[in-house]
Amino acid sequence: MNCRECKEHLYEYLDRELTPEVERDIRLHLEECPPCGEQFDFEKLFLEFLKARCRAQGAPPELKRRILNELFDE
Amino acid sequence: MTPPIPPVPPAPPAPPAPPSGSSAADAEKRASFEREALVHLDSLYRVALRLTGNAAEADDLVQETMLKAYRAWHQFERGTNAKGWLLTILRHAFINEYRRRTRHPETVDIDAIEPFSVFQEVQDDDPQGTFFDRIVDDEVLRAIDTLPEQFRETVVLSDVEGLSYEEIARVLSVPVGTVKSRLFRARRLLQQKLYDYAVGMGYIKGSSK
Repeated sequence: MNCRECKEHLYEYLDRELTPEVERDIRLHLEECPPCGEQFDFEKLFLEFLKARCRAQGAPPELKRRILNELFDE
Repeated sequence: MTPPIPPVPPAPPAPPAPPSGSSAADAEKRASFEREALVHLDSLYRVALRLTGNAAEADDLVQETMLKAYRAWHQFERGTNAKGWLLTILRHAFINEYRRRTRHPETVDIDAIEPFSVFQEVQDDDPQGTFFDRIVDDEVLRAIDTLPEQFRETVVLSDVEGLSYEEIARVLSVPVGTVKSRLFRARRLLQQKLYDYAVGMGYIKGSSK
């Protein structure tokens, strides 16, 4: 696998959406190609950062009460 | 003399008549709904907030979604993905009732959005993108909110809620290939917005391009 092919699968690889065979080919390429390895690391850290920044928010307790009231007449 | 016959224990009192509308089936419905649907309340709320852009509308949208889901609960196929099912209901409710009076759908020419790689810009100074860590939650959410709707919903379902491409495709009723290409452009666009913000704040030196 060359660099261009590898980068075409960048997000699918990080999202674990590839077949085990393609995943392995990419992993092998990343091991022997530091520039691609660096870029994949950068993107991986970006996705982790994104998730961490967006997960904190949850539904307000008041909304849950409202819903329970409406559904079950509590 | 025969021993006295022990008194027959009184028959247990008849169970009180169930209040109208209540039955074992209702109790079971309620229990399974709480167990399988209500546990996704936080996810629904986060998605609703990003779609509507404000807390009051998000509250109403989630409440309506849960009500619709409860009414249709018998149609939900047990053992399948309840989160995806609920998000599909939420999105339809949003499109039918909320989008009209909140945000207007932009028609995005997806191909016109040039994927810009922030990595190319920062690989010499900060190849790990540590400047991102200085950007706080609110700023990231604000950046997501400025994405075109098609990109915003795709990013939220994937990066915030962790749905697979297949699940996202089902919720959005688009082919998996469309999910891939939207996700690629949405992430790049978001990266670019956050990079521009970081440059503006002096978290990282801008390129001299």
